[in-house]
Amino acid sequence: MAARGSSFLSQRRLASIGRYLLLGFFLLFVLAPIYWMFNTSIKPSSDYLAIPPVWFPDEPTLVHYEAALFTYRGLQGIINSLIVSLSATALSALLGTLMAYSLARFNTGGQHLSFWVLSQRFLPPVGIVLPVFLIYRNLGIHDTHFGLIMAYTVFTLPVSVWMMFAYFRQMPKSMEEAALVDGWTRWQAFWRVAVPLAAPAIVAAAVFAFIACWTEFFFALVLTGRTAFTLPTVFRSFIGFQGAQYGEAAALAIVSLGPSIVLGVLAQKHLVRGLTLGAVRG
Amino acid sequence: MAEVFRITPMEAAGAPPRLSSLAAWSERHFKWLLVAPAVLLILALSIYPLVFSLVVSFINYDFQVPGHDFVGLRNFERVIADPVARRSLVITAFLSGTSVIIEFGLGLLVALAMVKSFRGRGLVMSILIVPLFISPVIVGQAWTLMLQRPFGPTNYVLSQILGQEVTISWLTQAPWLYISLILADVWQWTPFMFVILLAGLTAIPNNLYEAAELDGVGAWDAFRWITLPHLMPMILLALTFRLLDAIRMFDTIFIMTGGGPGTQTYTATYYLYTIGFAQFNLSQATAGSWLFLIFTALVVILLVRRLLKVEPV
Repeated sequence: MAARGSSFLSQRRLASIGRYLLLGFFLLFVLAPIYWMFNTSIKPSSDYLAIPPVWFPDEPTLVHYEAALFTYRGLQGIINSLIVSLSATALSALLGTLMAYSLARFNTGGQHLSFWVLSQRFLPPVGIVLPVFLIYRNLGIHDTHFGLIMAYTVFTLPVSVWMMFAYFRQMPKSMEEAALVDGWTRWQAFWRVAVPLAAPAIVAAAVFAFIACWTEFFFALVLTGRTAFTLPTVFRSFIGFQGAQYGEAAALAIVSLGPSIVLGVLAQKHLVRGLTLGAVRG
Repeated sequence: MAEVFRITPMEAAGAPPRLSSLAAWSERHFKWLLVAPAVLLILALSIYPLVFSLVVSFINYDFQVPGHDFVGLRNFERVIADPVARRSLVITAFLSGTSVIIEFGLGLLVALAMVKSFRGRGLVMSILIVPLFISPVIVGQAWTLMLQRPFGPTNYVLSQILGQEVTISWLTQAPWLYISLILADVWQWTPFMFVILLAGLTAIPNNLYEAAELDGVGAWDAFRWITLPHLMPMILLALTFRLLDAIRMFDTIFIMTGGGPGTQTYTATYYLYTIGFAQFNLSQATAGSWLFLIFTALVVILLVRRLLKVEPV
């Protein structure tokens, strides 16, 4: 009995050591590339090829940041990304909330409509982006903020709709019904009762839409050019130059990490719902 | 506040104010007006382009060839006959399949390690989810910086650990370039698996384990007979969502290998992008993207529909 107890204990201890080792290694794995990128961004070019590698530069410098933001038009990319991402996020949250409310409260279009919206999420972007490119060229809205905002709104709608759909379905109707009994119109019950109650969920859905737009590359690559280019597309400029642009690429990466990581970590309570389009409650 | 919106006696008496016919109409069609903007936008920017691309794939729309003649299935035949296209589909299946399996295994292990609370768990959690909020382009850039010879520290660290000189060309030489691409994908998306599986693990009632421990059931058997069955819906959901995203793999390849050397790391999306926007064979590209779309749609219909119906919300 005693022997069994002690072996059980050591098995537990072993399991717990294994657990911390695993988490430790995985943390290292996650942090290493981010640290190396930060390290590269403040490292003078003369340290690039040193052996052993320079783990922290003796003379940190900000020259790469300056070059990335101004010489490589990173700042313009940030401005464009902000314009496009914020507009598309606002539109997506608005249209998504409207549609989700109708789907959740009136079962509009039955299951077909809701699954039709969901299926948009799983369309391969390459199938959409080629014809959209041709259509945009014909309409003269290729390489404009407007064009990309519209594309991003559609691209984020399934997530907005389904996150809000899941939320409205589990939100009690009683308040809205009371408002209707009180003589309010359905529109008033929606805008003045349901929307304020759902505000936290709308904000969460908007955060994930923003992150999706901020980090998107493929649509921006095809649908923009020298004018409306977004931040991720600036990284094209650093390809193919052996070595010389490492610092600039790293600096721009570090700058663009900020907004999406801060928002993402702040909204992590809603992360599971965001990743599964509301299918799983975190 | 409520007073303002109450129906006035005049309205109730049937003397409607101006605009009330519009108001009544919008009230009657309330549920359709709510869905209309989103549906119209999806029709305009997703369904119409798809139809348009189907048209383009049956004519020659290529920039070098004049005229828009109907060419029947020739564009489809050209894609199917192209060995690079077929190879890119194999590469897509290989890269996405391998990445998703590794992400699942690693994600499950990390989720199991994170279930019980410990000091600093919140902080660890916040760090582990960071890759999810980073643009895949930057992930590709970060791993390029890590692996690129002679700049990256990876070969140096490996040399120190193994005690012998390591000189691997991670981004230009098979099989290392596939490993590098999988590494970047695993880095970014293991947190996806881990977050969903952790939510699933947390939802399993603890008393099941307590009962099992009283019955003298070992840790492995508890995992096999309690954890796995309860986690299964979540596992299927995570695998499906991840797989459907993984088969689009493009951004990291664009940055890390540029599809090369040659066409060795062409995925389906990269291949279609190249023939569409580098060679301007737009008709062939749209034909190919329709084939890829049908391929994806089959997976969606088979997996997603069934899954989300089963899923207990």
